[in-house]
Amino acid sequence: MTETTDAARTAGTAGGGAPAATAAAEPMVRVENVYKSFGRLRVLSGIDLQVRPGEVCVVLGPSGSGKSTLLRCINHLEKIDAGRIWVDGELIGYRQRGGKLHELRDKEVAAQRRSIGMVFQRFNLFPHMTALENVMEAPLCARLGTKAEIRERALALLRRVGLGDKVDTYPRQLSGGQQQRVAIARALAMQPKLMLFDEPTSALDPELVGEVLDVMKDLARDGMTMIVVTHEIGFAREVGDHLIFMDGGQVVEAGPPREVIAEPKHERTRAFLAKVL
Amino acid sequence: MAEAATTERARPEPITAVPVRHPWRWVAVAVLAVLVAMFVHMLVTNDNLHWSFMVDNMFRPPIIEGVRGTILLTISSMAVGLVLGLVVAVMRLSANPILRVVAWVYTWFFRAVPRLVLLVLCGNLGILWKRIEFGLPFDRQIGALFGVDDFTARFYGVDSLSLLSGFTAGLLGLALSEGAYMAEIIRAGIQSVDPGQSEAAAALGLSRGQALRRIVLPQAMRVIVPPTGNETIAMLKDTSLVAAVPITVELFYQLRAVGVRAFDPFPMLVAATIWYLFLTSILLVLQYFVERYFARGYGRTERARMRLREIAAETGGGGAA
Repeated sequence: MTETTDAARTAGTAGGGAPAATAAAEPMVRVENVYKSFGRLRVLSGIDLQVRPGEVCVVLGPSGSGKSTLLRCINHLEKIDAGRIWVDGELIGYRQRGGKLHELRDKEVAAQRRSIGMVFQRFNLFPHMTALENVMEAPLCARLGTKAEIRERALALLRRVGLGDKVDTYPRQLSGGQQQRVAIARALAMQPKLMLFDEPTSALDPELVGEVLDVMKDLARDGMTMIVVTHEIGFAREVGDHLIFMDGGQVVEAGPPREVIAEPKHERTRAFLAKVL
Repeated sequence: MAEAATTERARPEPITAVPVRHPWRWVAVAVLAVLVAMFVHMLVTNDNLHWSFMVDNMFRPPIIEGVRGTILLTISSMAVGLVLGLVVAVMRLSANPILRVVAWVYTWFFRAVPRLVLLVLCGNLGILWKRIEFGLPFDRQIGALFGVDDFTARFYGVDSLSLLSGFTAGLLGLALSEGAYMAEIIRAGIQSVDPGQSEAAAALGLSRGQALRRIVLPQAMRVIVPPTGNETIAMLKDTSLVAAVPITVELFYQLRAVGVRAFDPFPMLVAATIWYLFLTSILLVLQYFVERYFARGYGRTERARMRLREIAAETGGGGAA
């Protein structure tokens, strides 16, 4: 992409955000035995997952396997039925007090979500706001500084995703790839500890996929902790530190992406990869 | 060969085809022309229209006073109705079941009762309560329970006759009824916004109130504004019902009064038609501008402006960008 990207890349490697350095630390995300049903349809049944700080976890699986639901549970867009989820040591959605779980209030849930960025398959940009206003909105609502400071940071973020010249453009006038890059900048504006990507390139024309993946690779090199639901096997192999394969609401197989993709142990993983590759 | 063909191929002649003829359009125009001519002829030749009488009377001070009353009543009852409607719509969509039921009962009642009946009812509330007072509910009954005679705990009160006469009663009736309709319009507007929008707002850590105010409502306005324009026009006309309260400082009442007094009602009915046409046209212009404002980021206008900019850039029209 541009010079800024290259600068960020070198900064990322120099900064030592590699997972090896922080392997011993407390996991950034801990998902423990999570169950979730919609009515009588069970979507997640006993999911366990750990993501260490700075790690990129790739989630693969056929549609309907519960990948998106898992992501949506991690920032409490969906309530889980059983199990526990911690992000950076904080229990998501509940408070443990005297052996009992208490639901968090609306405001407390909102506060938890501020440290978790999310990027959606269909971008979900705010269509009545320009790209810059989209990026500034959440920090303004959370009062993360003066308007001028927030504006400066938003401009820097838009430049970082290569859209410094599209600041005053409305989402409808941007291509899908550009919209998704604004959406990433918008999530980054809250300075999250964790980024969730829900099939970020699935709604894009093939020739636009690359520009979004480049931004995500850049983020990964900067040491951002990421959980990425995707069908981009190449991205998984190149950027992923950890891969889980889900089917029927369960983690069927997990391990280093290269190994799992090269020689899947489980029959269902093999069948899925044969179709995707 | 192929190269020569592509380089030397000239631009073909522009198409000059005979367009499809539409003879029936001309027939329709002819029929309409005759009908319009007949109507104009009637307006000019019918003596019972008494144009000079109409023009002399339709701008007299009491009529202008009536126009002011009509406009004032329209604006204030629409304003109160809009606020009420917004509150009720949000209640209706709230997670709180008590608020949902209260909102449903409100819209059920005020949509069920005809405006005319509601206005007469509001005008006669004085029969029910001589005074309207604020204080401890059931104070007398509580006093009796503890053996105190004539125990009262009321802090503030007004005579209902002075409060509920005329304008206030009319405003109350129209605004309460409008609130119910606006609530349904605003609810439809809110529900028309893609749920992904509130989800994105929630994921960014916006509270529900912030998401509603900053993200959902501005987008809902695109759906809310056109029917609200309709409601405003309907309200302008429904103010003529307040004669039943009774309120007399209102356009239609004043015009009809002039006609009745002069034993010549028809010209003043025409005057009323003209006045309402004029006022409604002003509202239509206002609606156009409001709609254009809330279509930002969406509309054709935006795209058209972009295309213009592109064309300007292509032709090299002093583009700094």
